[in-house]
Amino acid sequence: MFARSSLGRIASQRPTLGAAPQNARNMATLREIELRLKSVRNIEKITKSMKMIASTKLAKAQRAMQAGKEYGSANSEIFQHTPPETPSKRKLFVVVSSDKGLCGGIHSSVSKATRRALAESDQADPASPVMVIGDKSKGQLSRVLGQNMAMSFNQIGRDIPTFADAAGVADLIVKSGVEYDSVTIVYNKFVSAISYEAATVEVTTEKLLKESPGFRAYEMEDDFAKDLAEFSLANAIYAALVEAHACEQSARRNAMDNASNNAKDMIGALTLQYNRGRQAAITNELVDIITGASAL
Amino acid sequence: MSSATWRNFFTYNKYAQITARAVRQSLKETERVAAEKRGVTALRYQKWENGVGGTQVYLNPDADKGLGKPAV
Repeated sequence: MFARSSLGRIASQRPTLGAAPQNARNMATLREIELRLKSVRNIEKITKSMKMIASTKLAKAQRAMQAGKEYGSANSEIFQHTPPETPSKRKLFVVVSSDKGLCGGIHSSVSKATRRALAESDQADPASPVMVIGDKSKGQLSRVLGQNMAMSFNQIGRDIPTFADAAGVADLIVKSGVEYDSVTIVYNKFVSAISYEAATVEVTTEKLLKESPGFRAYEMEDDFAKDLAEFSLANAIYAALVEAHACEQSARRNAMDNASNNAKDMIGALTLQYNRGRQAAITNELVDIITGASAL
Repeated sequence: MSSATWRNFFTYNKYAQITARAVRQSLKETERVAAEKRGVTALRYQKWENGVGGTQVYLNPDADKGLGKPAV
């Protein structure tokens, strides 16, 4: 049973069950604290190195994003000049995330935006098809929107995404046989090195492109609209992929930075606790020895 | 050439990737190595039916035997 005085002496220790003698209990708790200290120190080393890696990758990813955004803005200029006459009824959602974790709220931000878009029934049909790039969002969305999932992609985002990745995805989307009037790409927009937000980009299909008055003003061969629709889909996916990649690296750097700081705080608190426990054990031993000596 | 028949077999994106590969392979050695990096893709996909995913398929089966997974 715990004696009141011993509780006062060892105020910071966790109470342990069992009737072990006082010194043994102190030693056991001290060993626990020592083990925790060792593991938290290892974690701090790991998170600090992950933060360094993410910082270097972020620099490269940001350069690629600046270049990739030009593709995206050139792309959207086409759609600004050819707005569809009838709003698209059936939208295909393409969710851009990645396979790796430990990057803060990147994946859930995109998943939440998709769920919100599908929940507003005036914006999109709740049975709209959804395609996901990246295993993390695939896992989150397959639980909620499993019936809407048409296809999923992975192995993108290990390194800077290439246009070959985007072209492959666009190719598979077009050949998949899913029916849609327009594609809405949901991705994370890079606001700054410490913040991002979910955003969407719309890409119209060949059918709506051909019907729009801006397009009809020009005389051209039949196949061009189809080629343009396919290529602009690949362009838009590429721009979204590189921007999402940059957001992921910055979020990972921030998350690992926070984790390292938390680990450092924990190391400080645990070291204090350990020293107090050690000194209390020494003091108890001294008291025992002195009372024992005075009894002789 | 308005009598191009490639449209019967693949999409414009595939056509562009094929021509890009031809251009990359025709470059001189140093430029070719730099350009090959821009054409790398290890994409895998799977079709979903009724909330259940199918088997995962590599887009380029010969290109998947690459490096192992990096740390992060």
